[in-house]
Amino acid sequence: MTPIIETRGLVKRYDGELAVAGIDLTVGPGEIYGLVGPNGAGKTTTMRILATLLAPTAGEARVCGIDVTADPVEVRRRIGYMPDFYGVYDDLRVWEYLDFFARCYSVPAARRAGMIGELLEIVGLAEKRDAYVEALSRGMRQRLCLAHTLVHDPQLLILDEPASGLDPRARVEMREILRELRGMGKTILVSSHILSEVAELCTSVGIIDRGRLLRSGQIAEIERSLRATALLRIDVLSDGDAAIAWLGTDPRVGDVLAVSSEAGMTRLEVPFDGPAGEQATMLQGMIAAGHTVSSFSQATSDLEEIFLKVTGNDEETAA
Amino acid sequence: MTATTLPRRRLSGLREFGSSVSTIMSKELRSRFRGRRAFVVLTLYLGILALIAYGAYISAVPAASQPGLVGPDGMSIGAANASAIVGQAIFAMLSIFQLMLVAFLAPAFTTGAISLEREKATLDLLITTPLRPGAIVVGKLLSALAFVVLMIVAGIPVSALVLMYGGAAVQDIVRAQIVLFAAAIGFGVIGLFCSALIKRTQSATVVAYSTVLFLTVGTFFVWRLWTAGLAGTITEPFGPASRAPEQLLYLNPAIAMVEIVADTEITTGDMGRIMAEIRGTGGMVCNGDVCFDNSGGGIAPSKPVITDCPPNARCAAPPVPTAFDPRPLETGHFLPRFALTFAGLSLLLTLASMRLVVPAGLGFRLRRRHPTSAAGTGP
Repeated sequence: MTPIIETRGLVKRYDGELAVAGIDLTVGPGEIYGLVGPNGAGKTTTMRILATLLAPTAGEARVCGIDVTADPVEVRRRIGYMPDFYGVYDDLRVWEYLDFFARCYSVPAARRAGMIGELLEIVGLAEKRDAYVEALSRGMRQRLCLAHTLVHDPQLLILDEPASGLDPRARVEMREILRELRGMGKTILVSSHILSEVAELCTSVGIIDRGRLLRSGQIAEIERSLRATALLRIDVLSDGDAAIAWLGTDPRVGDVLAVSSEAGMTRLEVPFDGPAGEQATMLQGMIAAGHTVSSFSQATSDLEEIFLKVTGNDEETAA
Repeated sequence: MTATTLPRRRLSGLREFGSSVSTIMSKELRSRFRGRRAFVVLTLYLGILALIAYGAYISAVPAASQPGLVGPDGMSIGAANASAIVGQAIFAMLSIFQLMLVAFLAPAFTTGAISLEREKATLDLLITTPLRPGAIVVGKLLSALAFVVLMIVAGIPVSALVLMYGGAAVQDIVRAQIVLFAAAIGFGVIGLFCSALIKRTQSATVVAYSTVLFLTVGTFFVWRLWTAGLAGTITEPFGPASRAPEQLLYLNPAIAMVEIVADTEITTGDMGRIMAEIRGTGGMVCNGDVCFDNSGGGIAPSKPVITDCPPNARCAAPPVPTAFDPRPLETGHFLPRFALTFAGLSLLLTLASMRLVVPAGLGFRLRRRHPTSAAGTGP
């Protein structure tokens, strides 16, 4: 079966600077693929190439088997694209906004009215049908923009940071909508700089940094490989040096990355190679050895932090 | 491909293009004409136009009603001409004012067409739709011009007042409207091109208005200075032999309009003097087929003054001595040349704007390849 997205050695160079440095990406039909990486990693550039807004410097990108540079118009008919940063036409009403885009995709007039109602229902803006776009909140605009990507019932949705800048409640709403779209059988490429945000939604994830796809695959595999080098943050009230010495004897613990002490408390950051259960046994051992641990946490929620360590390690091994 | 499918495909392509243009237009017009603003502006405009016509009437009446008045060329203007003088004055004022208005308004509606979409980050959403970039540009242009065109058309009845007085004929009014339409399209396209070329609306506006100013005023001054340079003296620059290329003036809608107005002048007025300079008739001023010596004596008339011709009537001109007349002094010389030049300029800039809207490197094709030929190439 033809993959929905396929890129081979995709390279994009801006004024000599490499934004995308050879990405091979394959996304099959029905997959929800999360592109995760820090800001400036090349997520947006990759998505803009797939959305026919940028031409790649080298390599090729295909959507539904169609080369994005050879026939951008045919690609556009098959995708719905939501940029990370976009505006809306303030002076239109919500239904007019969707009607405009539906006409852009040559949706016949007879189908437009009913479809607009359905779409507004999906994104939860049904009662805002006659409101001016101007009057919508940021979260509502985001959902309206998402609705506009659906007017022509595309095979592929390319959503660049759909939850960025939203408050927690709006984030949850956005996630619910994406889940519903997954149920409708759409293939979705979604980007985020927070792994946990896409982890529960996506079927596959690609970790991208400095223009390279570092890891790509099923969400479970990625999570396992990331967890394997979790970053532990340990606050010790007793002698910090003794604690560091004790940790050094554990083969699963890497070199201490950061030490900071204030008001008699020492905070240590150490990489730990092992599943969550082993972290608990290590904590038990540490306390048994007489160290006063006031806080013991895994800094996994912030992807960027872990992630920079991971990519840093990758670079060291490469060097 | 058989011979019959080609035109049909071309026809369906044309229909698709038309529906794309109308999609853009309906959206643009919806936001432009929403609320009362457009109607208030139109009403104000017509009010001002009527006031100007009235002002021209007031100022022309005293001069026109003096019996036995003698024009600057020594020809007497009788009271019989009073009505025509008033009509001509109104026509002159309205035409020049409307042209100035078009020069101000047409770019104003288009300089934001593309750059505002870029600034408000709505252009990406538009480009990722299958709309042809050509349709986007043309739709934007037509909807921006719609209001200017509406203003011009709504002003026609006011211009038609002139017909009550005489002094300008129906064809003069038609000619003036042609200049207005051509200028509106040309200036609108210039604004659109600047909008597509320059990232920021503010800069695009500055560049567009500078260009419009250069075309309406600059070209004439460049032409004058050039001509003065050729003649070697600034005091008497307008000899018939040495003049700058008049093609420069084809870019100037004001010259085309001045010519139309000059051709309606009963005696030589301001417009007539400007045209005399441009036509290189030196001290000669021509009005229709009749030329007068306007230099205050000294130079012999190139066309003898016809004394037995009743005022404001068209009389056959005697043969013209070629030594004084390097070119035929036809009326309506600049109108078709200007209109053609502006049409060509508009077409070129529209095509260039289309090219600028397409993301770089994603091939600009006027006609799309047939979908099936591309879709089948996937692995």
